[in-house]
Amino acid sequence: MLKSAEVYVDGVKNGNRLMLARTITLIESALPAHQELAREIVDRLLPETGKGVRLGITGVPGAGKSTFIESFGTMLTGLGHKVAVLAIDPSSSRSGGSILGDKTRMEKLAINPDAFIRPSPSGGTLGGVGRKTRETMLVCEAAGYDVVIIETVGVGQSETTVASMVDFFLVLMIAGAGDELQGIKKGVLEVADTIVINKADGDNIQRAEIARKEYETALHMLMPASPNWSPRVLTCSSTQSTGIDTIWNTVLDHRNKLTQCGEMAFKRKEQALEWMSFLLDEGLRAWFYNNPEIKKLLPTLKHDVENRNTSPTAAADLLLKILTQ
Amino acid sequence: MSEHPNLSKWTELAEKQMKGKSLETLDWTTPEGIKVKPLYTAEDLEDMESVNTLPGMEPYVRGPMATMYAGRPWTIRQYAGFSTAKESNAFYHKALAAGQKGLSVAFDLATHRGYDSDHPRVAGDIGKAGVAIDSVEDMKILFDGIPLDQMSVSMTMNGAVIPILAGYIVAAEEQGVKHEQLSGTIQNDILKEYLTRNTYIYPPEPSMRIISDIMSFCSSNMPRYNTISISGYHMMEAGANSVLQTAFTIADGIEYVKAALKSGMDIDTFAPRLSFFFGIGMNFFMDIAMLRAARFLWHRAMSGFNPKNPKSSMLRTHCQTSGWSLTEQDPYNNVIRTTMEALSAVLGGTQSLHTNSFDEAIGLPTDFSARIARNTQIIIQDESNITKVIDPLGGSYYLESLTSAIIDEAQKIIDEIEELGGMAKAIESGMPKMRIEESAARKQARIDQGLDVIVGVNKYQLANEKIDFEIREVPASVRDEQIARIKEIKSTRDQAAVDKALADLRTAAEGGGNLLEAALPAVRARATVGEISDAMEAVFGRFVATTRCISGAYSSEFVADTRAIDNIKNRTNAFFDKQGRRPRMLVTKMGQDGHDRGFKVVASAYADLGFDVDISPMFQTPAEAAKMAIENDVHVVGASSLAAGHKSLIPELINELKKIGGEDIIVVAGGVIPPMDYDFLYEAGVKAVFGPGTPIPDSADKTLRLLEEKYLS
Ligand SMILES: Nc1nc2c(ncn2[C@@H]2O[C@H](COP(=O)(O)OP(=O)(O)OP(=O)(O)O)[C@@H](O)[C@H]2O)c(=O)[nH]1
Ligand SMILES: [Mg+2]
Repeated sequence: MLKSAEVYVDGVKNGNRLMLARTITLIESALPAHQELAREIVDRLLPETGKGVRLGITGVPGAGKSTFIESFGTMLTGLGHKVAVLAIDPSSSRSGGSILGDKTRMEKLAINPDAFIRPSPSGGTLGGVGRKTRETMLVCEAAGYDVVIIETVGVGQSETTVASMVDFFLVLMIAGAGDELQGIKKGVLEVADTIVINKADGDNIQRAEIARKEYETALHMLMPASPNWSPRVLTCSSTQSTGIDTIWNTVLDHRNKLTQCGEMAFKRKEQALEWMSFLLDEGLRAWFYNNPEIKKLLPTLKHDVENRNTSPTAAADLLLKILTQ
Repeated sequence: MSEHPNLSKWTELAEKQMKGKSLETLDWTTPEGIKVKPLYTAEDLEDMESVNTLPGMEPYVRGPMATMYAGRPWTIRQYAGFSTAKESNAFYHKALAAGQKGLSVAFDLATHRGYDSDHPRVAGDIGKAGVAIDSVEDMKILFDGIPLDQMSVSMTMNGAVIPILAGYIVAAEEQGVKHEQLSGTIQNDILKEYLTRNTYIYPPEPSMRIISDIMSFCSSNMPRYNTISISGYHMMEAGANSVLQTAFTIADGIEYVKAALKSGMDIDTFAPRLSFFFGIGMNFFMDIAMLRAARFLWHRAMSGFNPKNPKSSMLRTHCQTSGWSLTEQDPYNNVIRTTMEALSAVLGGTQSLHTNSFDEAIGLPTDFSARIARNTQIIIQDESNITKVIDPLGGSYYLESLTSAIIDEAQKIIDEIEELGGMAKAIESGMPKMRIEESAARKQARIDQGLDVIVGVNKYQLANEKIDFEIREVPASVRDEQIARIKEIKSTRDQAAVDKALADLRTAAEGGGNLLEAALPAVRARATVGEISDAMEAVFGRFVATTRCISGAYSSEFVADTRAIDNIKNRTNAFFDKQGRRPRMLVTKMGQDGHDRGFKVVASAYADLGFDVDISPMFQTPAEAAKMAIENDVHVVGASSLAAGHKSLIPELINELKKIGGEDIIVVAGGVIPPMDYDFLYEAGVKAVFGPGTPIPDSADKTLRLLEEKYLS
């Protein structure tokens, strides 16, 4: 039932929703044949990519990420942009199935002809999230979506993976009961280009403002990741759509600043290289561990090392030599 | 008092009859988590606060009135409405002639959601689940020949409550009836809409203001009118057990009282006009006890507000037999179910009652099925002598114990809600919805395993189902008729007067005027329901729900025999191995019907079984659902339909899918779909139809088989 790469490539280039969706399915598939075809498609689409704004959004469950994207994305399409949203859902129950409900919180954007939303069960490994999302982002760009937003829940490690593939990383927070910095890992703050305190509405406005100041102080104590950009802390209400335009202006400001001094181009190159070395590492490991002779030898040698019959160095040498034979 | 002197002897006897098995094996844990023993004695009633009280007196466990049915039986109030106002009016006249005492109007879903019949979003809903009302002209036809100064009229309306209540008031005015002569009830219970039924329009805050405005207008102008009917019925229908129904309903009531007090009203001006609405299911003694417990709890809660008028803490209720308990299979059994449930409501001491027609899992009630439903009540009233004694089960060891257990369990939940800051806050937190959905998923799992028996569905199924009675269907022409009448009204009315009245209404919405009062001139000027709703929507916005879905509850209730679900789990895994992804299904609900129980239970159970399940937002059009199916690249779309929209909405979905290249996506349908429509749907391209009561493992098996045939062979 697989069509040739040609069909997918043309479909995506023409902005055909169905073909874009089916290409993403190939990218996400666990079957080697699908992955191979997907690689070919992505490769051929590569010249069409790179022009869009790549945005990562993270936050604890219930922070309002999806609601934010509904409001933010709707504003962007109003400005003439085409918006793609990739929502990574980490939840999968014991059986492995999952419930993907993101669109119920992006009701208007979901039916907007200038928007494409794809919720994905993360299912597999972290590397999996990285590979799939990165390639999916590229094909969305090739299909003419000039803003690509990646939503990921701020638990586990998927958010740093996402941060390493976008231009701008936004961390969504809510004002809690005092201990603001609890529950969110310092590592996430280090990669944030902007922190937004959501749900600044109703009786919450004041608390959001207090939280904003606290985060500002906290950020001052961190070394900014870029010499050309100091992360900002903003507030917004996704349900009332207030403060949303300021966030977009911040994204543009960031983009201008980093483009002018050449950091944006550098960042993307860096990300591409990082990604390549990540894939090389992964590939080498896989190549090594899947070698039948190594599979056979490894347990015995481990045993020997444990019982001091062989030194670790000698054992590693022996195994590595097998690959070079 | 202590243990019965012969209790140990009884235990011995009983154990002998059990042939060595321990007596404890006869204990039963109800779905509410209450432990029920096989025998109760006087000892169980010791120190019980709710026992040995009197009717008409605090805490009203035995009934709100001193004489109860011995003085006057409950009001037979049948809920009805379909098609046009004219058709419904004719139906009402026949029912009143045959012994019905009060009217209860069912509106169609377009009206509930504040859309006129000519709105493109609602094409599939007009006149289907109730009567279509677009303006006061329709209202006048609906009540033609029915003297509104004498007839008490109950209206199930929550979302578009302002234009509908105003329409009723103006229709009465034009009959020459004064406001203060009107008696009846408007449901006006918006909190439960966010919880279960989803027929809201505006966000919670303006909706709560609308309720306060209605209470305030009616307390000074319509003293005989019940301004709210605080409803647990829909929670039960959504799967809540009896403790959850009681707790959430009382908590809703407390929230309304607080809102009214906050708006400056005195407790005794509005509290006596608060009424309740409970759903009665097949758990016979449990629901008798539930009504008694609810009266106790309401009195207890209201005492905290220090009312002077005893009526302020007296719970008066309407009841309805469970629509969910009706089966499409072997449908005459429904007469018996409804009779049992009616008896339960009566023994619980309801003030009015609706009994369902046996054919309601299949179609709209006909004259024939409506007569049997009505006669069910008349026979209990007139033939059985049940009405002669007040609270005849009062003092029963078992029933009093159950009553007390419900009081205790429900109170715990009410306290929990208070801690969250009241019901509005609790609803925001998602807690009540999750509890109800969990209860529903567990019930479904018990039914699918045969632990909860439903005759004709999971026991003694008929080999051949045959429908040998007439089925009522709403002709598609209803929409055309309504649209024609809207056109006519719009071309003959004084447009300038309409514009001014609508502008005034908007001003009231922005400022602080009473919305019901402000809507009356608009209705008099012939503004439509849609126009009035829009004027307020311009200020308030339209509410968008957050759909959340629980997982794990369905499969964790599978204790006895897990073979059926293990089989499916293995096959979804095998599908993954061969296709590189799990079977992916979009579960969608199109049209304006907001009953999302089936849709949620299916989504949650299928995910437990290893599907990736996308859930769509509520109220989608077929084109929107098709876009979502394509983007998410699902293998199959499951369309849920409960409100008779299936014949237009589902074929349209298939068409829309074709238009955008998704002809290979399989479409299956589920919900209340009458058997005679199956062939129509198959011809339209639907690959499988799952009627009510289909066990989830069966539907999942069939759906998976369709996928396996297509992708794995
Ligand atoms: N008052 C208020 N509520 C909001 C706002 N944004 C989101 N919410 C509410 O917060 C809840 C969670 O919002 P979501 O958008 O689902 O949050 P999320 O971060 O995407 O959640 P997950 O996808 O489950 O991790 C919903 O009930 C929203 O209605 C806001 O700006 N103000
Ligand atoms: Mg989300």
